[in-house]
Amino acid sequence: MTHLCLAAGFGLLALAPVYGQAPAKIASAGNKDWTMPRTTDGHPDFQGFWTDASVTPLERPKQLGAKEFYTPEEAAEHDRHELVDRTSWDRLGSQAQVHYDMSQYGLDVSLVKVALTRRTSLIIGPEGRIPPLTDEARKRRADQAAQRRGHEFDSAQNRPLQERCIVWSNTGPPMTPAAYNSNLQIVQGGGYVAILQEMIHDTRLIPIGAQPHLPSNIRQWLGDPRGHWEGDTLVVDTTNFTNRTNVFGSTENLHVVERFKMVDADTIVYEFTLDDPTTWTRPWTAQLPLTRIEGPIFEYACHEGNLGMPNTLSGARAAEEAAKKDAK
Amino acid sequence: MKHRLGIQFALAAAASTVFFFVTPALAHHAFAAEFDVNRPIKLRGTVTKMDWINPHSWIYIDVKGPDGHVVNWMIEGGSPNVLLRLGFTKEALPAGSEIVIDGYQAKDGSTRGVGKVLRFADGRKLFLGSSAPGAKGEPDK
Amino acid sequence: MYRRTWSAARTERTRTASVRVPRDPRLKALWLKLTTPVTDCRIRVVRKARFVRGAMVVVLTWFWLGCAFPQAPANRARTPDGHPDLSGIWQVLNTANWDLEGHAAAPGLMIPLGAIGAVPPGLSVVEGGSIPYLPEAAAKKKENFAHRLELDPEVKCYLPGVPRATYMPYPFQIVESQKQILISYQYASAARAIDMENHKKAPIDSWMGWSNGRWEGDTLVVDVTGLNDATWFDRSGNFHSDALHVVERYTPRSPDTMRYEAAIDDPKVFSRPWKISMILYRHAEENAQLLEFKCVEFVEELMYGHWKKKPSQ
Repeated sequence: MTHLCLAAGFGLLALAPVYGQAPAKIASAGNKDWTMPRTTDGHPDFQGFWTDASVTPLERPKQLGAKEFYTPEEAAEHDRHELVDRTSWDRLGSQAQVHYDMSQYGLDVSLVKVALTRRTSLIIGPEGRIPPLTDEARKRRADQAAQRRGHEFDSAQNRPLQERCIVWSNTGPPMTPAAYNSNLQIVQGGGYVAILQEMIHDTRLIPIGAQPHLPSNIRQWLGDPRGHWEGDTLVVDTTNFTNRTNVFGSTENLHVVERFKMVDADTIVYEFTLDDPTTWTRPWTAQLPLTRIEGPIFEYACHEGNLGMPNTLSGARAAEEAAKKDAK
Repeated sequence: MKHRLGIQFALAAAASTVFFFVTPALAHHAFAAEFDVNRPIKLRGTVTKMDWINPHSWIYIDVKGPDGHVVNWMIEGGSPNVLLRLGFTKEALPAGSEIVIDGYQAKDGSTRGVGKVLRFADGRKLFLGSSAPGAKGEPDK
Repeated sequence: MYRRTWSAARTERTRTASVRVPRDPRLKALWLKLTTPVTDCRIRVVRKARFVRGAMVVVLTWFWLGCAFPQAPANRARTPDGHPDLSGIWQVLNTANWDLEGHAAAPGLMIPLGAIGAVPPGLSVVEGGSIPYLPEAAAKKKENFAHRLELDPEVKCYLPGVPRATYMPYPFQIVESQKQILISYQYASAARAIDMENHKKAPIDSWMGWSNGRWEGDTLVVDVTGLNDATWFDRSGNFHSDALHVVERYTPRSPDTMRYEAAIDDPKVFSRPWKISMILYRHAEENAQLLEFKCVEFVEELMYGHWKKKPSQ
């Protein structure tokens, strides 16, 4: 009981200082005493442990229209509602019945430090929503859905990448909030910025410099990153995705540009722009704060403990057998 | 004013569930395919071990059936990383602990289940309580 | 001042009035010797020869000192706090991943792979040659080897543990900073974070272990505990228990090479601690880059194929 009291209390305390700040076109830090920590080459020092856990939705609820920011009071109420009123069962939705109680394992977002923002959605701008799909993308999605229908449990290859423990959807790039273990570690050295993400222990090794990207025939699940500094902002350009990486429905033509800017001792504003002309009618940008946490990152060895895959497939085969027997 | 705000947020929350892109239903494996909602189980037994592994931890318990025969069940739980971060250690659920599990059995009929609610024999929840003070607590059914 | 002439006939010296000849007889003799031009050709040749010999002695001594007592380290890259900078992409050039102990070439397990699947030869990387198993453990090792196709965790793309991750036939990248050193391995995207500052006890066992690091001079020493018992040391069935304790030492020996040593201690399996030792080579290509080897999808058919839905009759 103490744990959750502390955590909920912490969560509420954390709300207070954020809303005193100016809205998030954050050019300068809220705390005027703060100076940017730097590595010896003069660039900002982003090193340490961070979380991108969030209760802000990616897309703006339709009824909010063009409202990009809550007032401090509205934001506090929104976050309180998300962190205190809603439970892990609410978040699970349809799976709640046949699922372990997440809160018992500390997996509820109210029990961890959350990166708070006054934004009404992570996607910035007057619309705050993913742009319309191209006609090509619409057709592609319909075709893929038709192919999948009725075959969702045929084999391991039919399951989502996450269930297969190949790559976690929140790893990206771009990095997006995960329901739990939404943590990363940044280390800078040897001309690289390295970002180790907890799920699934992926390390993005971002070289700083003007090296060209990989040749176009070499594709990677996490793409191929190249970084450079624009003043105190780290800019990372990533291309060379596979055609199965699938970021919100993207193809191998996905191009991601990320920007990291530290605005106070415990906050990095992380912004990403996705561009895929074969999927969306225009590029779109989202912004999400990273909040400093205490380490370490714990190992998330997914494939090694993936009993869920054989269990799910054997369950599906058993259900098919049972259905056959019933039909007889 | 507060009342209007409350409705606004409730609506926003309802709408945002659909777009809350961290929903584990999309993220995790399909529990509905693995476990059978028509096979509820209530087990009382002693812990033999807990595997602190990912993507799911597993609690193994010895359950004595009505015939006196002891069967070892394995119960699926959450990622242990957060428990470690909250200061729990692998000694948090020692072997020999007596626990009660309300859950559902695997579809393939094996002695495997998911623990919807897990308690010690004295009624305490296993690691942490419900998610927040004033929360709804257990779901219906 | 005097004018030097090489004419054998000229023996006269010309001096200006400002030059003082020392009074002391020994000093005077030396002064005269040094200032008298050498007109005798044989003496000049001998003096030249002696000079050259002396110079050679000096030069050779310099090299000998340099080689016999190497300066530490030849790797000149250092981080601002003065430690060697181990950042970069590294890989071994041995066959330790096939078998830590010395082994001749041998046929592979898959006939269709022919020579591609065969085992290459290699010398032992174990100091002393062989691994000191306890008797029951030695029997288990033999059994592991006999069933290595089913039992080797590498076959299933499982994380390799420490020290095996270091000598897999794939490169890895070190990113070094003062407080943390990350090692990212190409094989299965395995990763380790070495804490150089806050040494804590391993709270749980894991595949890649819990690494606490420190500097001993120019050697990075990494203490690894919390390793689970599910990894092997190589493809030949060399194994350990969850009592395994590894101490690694990374010592630069030149700008592009490092000596890697790992001390192995596991009293449940071995009769005494033992050690492996090998060289790590830097990938010096201009475009060197760690690429992805996410092998999980390559093993799904192997691991889950029998659960697939059979096509209906």
